[in-house]
Amino acid sequence: MLHSMIEIHDVVKKYGDRVAVNQVSFCVQKGEIFGLLGPNGAGKTTTISILAALLLPDEGAVIIGGYDLMRETSQIKPLIGFVPQELALYPTLSAWDNLAFFGRIYGLRGTALKERIAAVLDLVGLRDRAKDAVRTFSGGMKRRLNIAAGLIHRPRILLLDEPTVGVDPQSRHFIFEHVEQLRSEGMTILYTTHYMEEAERLCDRVAIMDEGRILALDTTKALIGLLGGGVIYVRLAAETIETLLPAIRALPHVQAISAQDGRIKIETKDTHPALQELIELCISRDVSILSLEVLEPNLESVFLHLTGKRLRD
Amino acid sequence: MLRQILALTWKDLKIFFKDPGAVAAIFLQPFMFILIMSYALRGLFTPEEGQIRLLAVNQDRGAQATVILRQLDEMDAFEVETSWEGQPLTREMAEQLIIEEKRNLALVFPPDFSQVLEQDPAAEERRTTRILVIVDPTTSSQFIDPILGTLQGLIERRTYTALIPKGLDYLFEELAPQTPVEEREAIKAQAQESMSGGLLGGEGEGPLIAVERIAPAGMRVERYPDTFQQNVPGYTIYGIFWIVSLLASSVLREKREGTFRRLLVAPMSRAVMLAGKLVPYYIINLIQLAIMLGASSLLFGMSLGHSPVGLVAVSLAAAATATGLGVLVAALARTEAQIGGLTVLVLLTLSALGGCFVPRFVMPEWLRTVGLVTPHAWALDAYQDLLVRGYGLQEVLPKVGVLAVFAGVFFGVGVWRFRFE
Repeated sequence: MLHSMIEIHDVVKKYGDRVAVNQVSFCVQKGEIFGLLGPNGAGKTTTISILAALLLPDEGAVIIGGYDLMRETSQIKPLIGFVPQELALYPTLSAWDNLAFFGRIYGLRGTALKERIAAVLDLVGLRDRAKDAVRTFSGGMKRRLNIAAGLIHRPRILLLDEPTVGVDPQSRHFIFEHVEQLRSEGMTILYTTHYMEEAERLCDRVAIMDEGRILALDTTKALIGLLGGGVIYVRLAAETIETLLPAIRALPHVQAISAQDGRIKIETKDTHPALQELIELCISRDVSILSLEVLEPNLESVFLHLTGKRLRD
Repeated sequence: MLRQILALTWKDLKIFFKDPGAVAAIFLQPFMFILIMSYALRGLFTPEEGQIRLLAVNQDRGAQATVILRQLDEMDAFEVETSWEGQPLTREMAEQLIIEEKRNLALVFPPDFSQVLEQDPAAEERRTTRILVIVDPTTSSQFIDPILGTLQGLIERRTYTALIPKGLDYLFEELAPQTPVEEREAIKAQAQESMSGGLLGGEGEGPLIAVERIAPAGMRVERYPDTFQQNVPGYTIYGIFWIVSLLASSVLREKREGTFRRLLVAPMSRAVMLAGKLVPYYIINLIQLAIMLGASSLLFGMSLGHSPVGLVAVSLAAAATATGLGVLVAALARTEAQIGGLTVLVLLTLSALGGCFVPRFVMPEWLRTVGLVTPHAWALDAYQDLLVRGYGLQEVLPKVGVLAVFAGVFFGVGVWRFRFE
């Protein structure tokens, strides 16, 4: 039976007058990859900083591994592996020395430390570069080592804050594989990102955040389902809209339509046949299409649908 | 907890010793300063160009002291003052003028000076006397010694001038034609002994005119440093305070690169984190002190004094002060530029005021007093007490205490203002 490793209830965090996290609540189950998806400044890093006990919330409650964050921080800290957005490593030290240092901080010694360093280096594919200074590593290798440092003490919960920023596609793929392997080993992972494809691929559930609030929280499939089969935005000559709207609404793959400022929003059951039907209709009525935009059903579209903004705005 | 501090310490020491630039800045920079400035500024510790004003108290009942003083005054290098504000100088007046730092050297010729020089070589009892040289104890020996050398040369010349004619007259009277050869030879030998006796005296005898160096009544006689005794501790102290820049930059880098955030997530108190950040730089400071003082002793033959315990105590306190200042700058500075600016401003000002570049004994009184607000002045004085004046732990303990107070204040304010994020 699943039980929550992370529970966060009505958490508020303010910086002066600015509310960085506003009434945020969610639970993360053991062995789950939970995504926080949102643009920069949405409140993801503040939320993850609270979970890492770096910040205390102004309001609300946080329970991690059954311990209350406000009262039992010392019990929580060993449970957490933290991978910050920055490359939090010592560039002049070797990969081995970096991991040895972080391992010692968590109380690992001697053979146990050596074995653990070797294991995490194997996990992130850097065993052959163990003795090289980190400054000689590529961006992707540094990111992988950054993750390894968060895993050195065998945490039960891994907090990954934008772990693929500035990473080449190959290294990103590596990182995805490591994260999936960790989930298969039963680790609970909280993953923040502003890349919707990462959230879609990795996360069991996703909370979409913007301006400190959670706008939607569900499985990726359910969130994408909010858009049905996708959305088409079409702009037609103003004098033709009124006459054409009933015909568009009657198309077989159209679910609903609305029009505003000469732009028609068409929610579809499936974008591809709906698009074909729309174009055929316009040709048959001799109506010119001024612009056309198709939103495939994905988290990016869901975010746009929920906020009117793009994730990378 | 201790293991975490050790892990943090070992990590920072590794990072430091892997950075050749930082190692050069900490170890080579002060050493090069010592080497270059010690040779370049030797002139600072030798008599300056221009006339040196000497007070002269002439108690001589004869004319010989007057002749010497006139000869001294005729030299371009000296101006002899035998009166002050229209009054003939007395010994008490001269001492007071030295105590008030209006002059730093006075010669006191004794009443029997001429009588000693002009005494009968055949007299059964040989008379001697002494010239007192009253010296401001704050004056460096490099300044005093050439003056004394000149004075002794003049006295010696005067001695020969006064004694040799008398000796020759005496010898002519003695050299009657009927004198046997053996007796003549004996008389010649006696004349030679008389001629060479002069100031130094004959074998087994003291000089006719001794020159005794004393301090004015009530002033402590101190030894003052030579060029290496000034520059080695001076630039070593200047060098150890550069740890401020290294420590502050390291803290800022850890904040910027996120390693501090990562450590804050670990099960470790902030006090341990801070201690782990301080200890390595404290150790680097101690290594730096050991290398600077050790190398200076080996390469320049500089004495390290007679109190190893005192040396250790001063070094521990000086290093603690430098590291404490590092915490303060790390707490106040928000950017690399601020660290650079603060470090240069604070360190150069403190070093200059504290006498690391220019000895404090050549500074005006008010600047010497201002210098006491710097830990550099206290550390330098403590080192020079040990290295130059041969003091021990007990004498330097008050200065060690002052350094400990500086360290405590720097550290306390630094910790109070320190932000981990």
